Amino acid sequence: MGCASSSPAPRQGRLDGISHDATETFDSRNIRIKLVLLGDSGVGKSCIVLRFVRGQFDPSSKVTVGASFLSQTIALQDSTTVKFEIWDTAGQERYASLAPLYYRGAAAAVVVYDITSPDSFQRAQFWVKELQKHGSPGIVMALVGNKADLHESREVTSEDAQAYAESNGMFFIETSAKTADNVNQLFEEIAKRLPRGQPTQKP
Amino acid sequence: MASPGDEGSRPNGPNGSLGSFSERNKREHSNPEIISALYEELFGEEDCERPCYLPDHREEDSRDAEQDGTVAREDKEKGGGDGEVEGESKKVKGTSAELAGSQMSNELDAGDFQEDLGARSETGHDDGIQDRDQEISLRNGASAEASFTERSVAVDGEFSSDRGLDALPSPTSSQGGTSGYMAGSGSSSASTSSISGIEAANEQDTEGTGSRKEERGARVPGKRHTEEDDSHPSWRRHKKHFFILSNAGKPIYSRYGDEHKLAGFSATLQAIMSFVENSGDTVHLVRAGDHQIVFLVRGPLYLVCISSTDEPSEVLRGQLELLHGQLILILTKAVEKCFLKNSKFDMRPLLGGMDVVLSSLIHAFSWEPATFLKAYTCLPLPYGARQAACGALQDMTDSGALFSVLMCGNKVISLVGSRKTSLHPHDLLLLSNFISSSDSFRTSESFSPVCLPRYNSAAFMYAYVQYLNKDTCLILLTADPNDFFHLKECRAQIEIVLRESNVLREVNNSIERGGLRIEDMPGSEVGPSESGSTRGDRASDDGASTSAPEAVPGAGGPAGLWHFIYRSTYLDQFIASEFSPPFTTRSAQKRLYRAYQKLHASMHNAGGGGPHKMQYRRDEDHVLLSWRTSDFELYAAFDPLAEKNSAIFVCNRICQWIRDMEAEVFLLGATPFNW
Repeated sequence: MGCASSSPAPRQGRLDGISHDATETFDSRNIRIKLVLLGDSGVGKSCIVLRFVRGQFDPSSKVTVGASFLSQTIALQDSTTVKFEIWDTAGQERYASLAPLYYRGAAAAVVVYDITSPDSFQRAQFWVKELQKHGSPGIVMALVGNKADLHESREVTSEDAQAYAESNGMFFIETSAKTADNVNQLFEEIAKRLPRGQPTQKP
Repeated sequence: MASPGDEGSRPNGPNGSLGSFSERNKREHSNPEIISALYEELFGEEDCERPCYLPDHREEDSRDAEQDGTVAREDKEKGGGDGEVEGESKKVKGTSAELAGSQMSNELDAGDFQEDLGARSETGHDDGIQDRDQEISLRNGASAEASFTERSVAVDGEFSSDRGLDALPSPTSSQGGTSGYMAGSGSSSASTSSISGIEAANEQDTEGTGSRKEERGARVPGKRHTEEDDSHPSWRRHKKHFFILSNAGKPIYSRYGDEHKLAGFSATLQAIMSFVENSGDTVHLVRAGDHQIVFLVRGPLYLVCISSTDEPSEVLRGQLELLHGQLILILTKAVEKCFLKNSKFDMRPLLGGMDVVLSSLIHAFSWEPATFLKAYTCLPLPYGARQAACGALQDMTDSGALFSVLMCGNKVISLVGSRKTSLHPHDLLLLSNFISSSDSFRTSESFSPVCLPRYNSAAFMYAYVQYLNKDTCLILLTADPNDFFHLKECRAQIEIVLRESNVLREVNNSIERGGLRIEDMPGSEVGPSESGSTRGDRASDDGASTSAPEAVPGAGGPAGLWHFIYRSTYLDQFIASEFSPPFTTRSAQKRLYRAYQKLHASMHNAGGGGPHKMQYRRDEDHVLLSWRTSDFELYAAFDPLAEKNSAIFVCNRICQWIRDMEAEVFLLGATPFNW
């Protein structure tokens, strides 16, 4: 029973389940997508999500356990709506082996690091490689430097991150969950980059 | 048998044993350099006020070293463990009269020896090492004997652990030397009243900070005193330490202080434990003054509790087991494989962010009877409401979830398991602690891997967790990692049913009403009589029934009843009355729980003449009565002036009262234990 702790083997024939209707589209104007946040612990993944979904910022750090599930719908200028079903994963090492559970079938992935922590940037690169290897083909990836409000203690330059993102076909943005800077822009940009629903389904 | 303290009657054995001891020591110390270095590091340059784990002995050790060049090196090697325990015992000795009352005779002897050696260290210890060895070997005899019953190493009083343990590893060796060793366990004529002076002063040292801490009020979640390490006097004054380390000596968790800074201390603990392990034995308990050091080995993990709280060692051991269970819940037993691959594996990163969970469990050891009763408690609810909740959960459980639990704080509202599975009360306790102490579950719905150690310690299950309101939490457990969306739908349906059937409102009512109050007991002489009243209509009576007793602190229920815990054997559930005067301060409440723990241990363990069916005890705080039948266990606290007969009479009434309310205070029928 249960799956082994180290590697949750992908279950053939049960690929629905947690990833069910991950990229299902109602129609071309209303998209529902699965999005996963990955990154080292303490970089502010949950803060970004809570800022995006609830407009809140809680400075007290709450360590995410396992993964939290939240959803938020945004309307784009071209009058399409995108419903994000967001898996906010825990950054702790012990959950790393469980990450496939959450990113499998995701249409978008947000890899977050903390601009004041080079280690977290290293960890972000690990996640990028992991997604390139095992993520859904055509997954939209964003590299996010969070805590941009702490620019005076910056350790990772935007240039380095930008260069890394470009060489890996991702887009790069720096956000601050604290000041709400660029948070909505991040998700809007992802929404724009999503492949629009299958043309055959157009009414 | 020689009477203890009689210098002249010391056996000759130890004189002869010195040589062989050294031999053995050489053989068994796998890595003397490291331990020696450790010793240096730990105790070499400490100059601050002597805290409790710091050996007073270090001066003596170094003096020994100077005096006797040949043994010097070896003495230091031993120092790591040796100085450790000795120092501690000397600093916070206080072998109280109480200890005398409850301990076996040979332990008494050790207490007496302790005094003896304590006095020697006062006067400056100029004797050669040989003399010390003699004395220590003596104690070996005592402890070796004590340990035969449960193979626990009771290193008493001044016992230097290393040497003390040295004699123990092979029972044959201690048996072989019986003629000499036996002298240690003389008659119990040792009067502990002679232990005085230094100890009394030292006792104040720890007690003072302890009580101050207790009164501090509501607990701040998470780890405290993180800035401390073993060089801080304040760190050493904490009354109850918990450590988790790997068998390579790497620190994994410490209740107080920064694990990284405690690497040296961990290595010392490891040295003590591996020393004994190398000879095929296990160290269980070291008793040093009023400190107990309890060791638990679980695979590659060592768990250690150092406590001066006077809790029975079995209780502390149980707490270590729970702590280990909590680790397993977070990581599964698979973590042990990491140690197989790499014995120096550092487990700390795997526990990132989990300090708060472990700290909260340790806090529960003092505040949550579930930790020692091996039972869970339910939120009192009208029978119909609980049935409705169980019904809702049962439907979902039939459709895939292994367990569905609806909890309010640490109290169960409803618990349903799929057929042929059962949830151990400890699993429930650990799961509930894990969830309630991690704030992220309150923020949004979560899906997290957890492992239920008693159910299956090798594999993760997945817990869908969602708070339905501020306190009420729904937990759905599944074995299928892809079940999230299914469980999410289940939750939505359960929530609809719970709202429609007003269960959540009943839950809120129950929270407002609070738990059972002894003043409400039917036939109470203190409050207005309300025989036959049920919890349902109690809400309206509350004002009337509680006003009188609460105005008179200490009045309590009938016959001076202050508090009780009733545990149903078949249901694995308990119900405790609310704290009422005089248990108004946290320290008084904690004392009561500690007293219950002690009582519980004595009711269940063979030690101290148990297991018992009934006990009536009087101490300075209260009269405690415990009663154990095949159906239930009852623990009750009374006014110290309570009479035995009326107390027993009241206990009968409590049982009747609980039976009358059984359907409301317990979860009946639906419990998985009945499957």
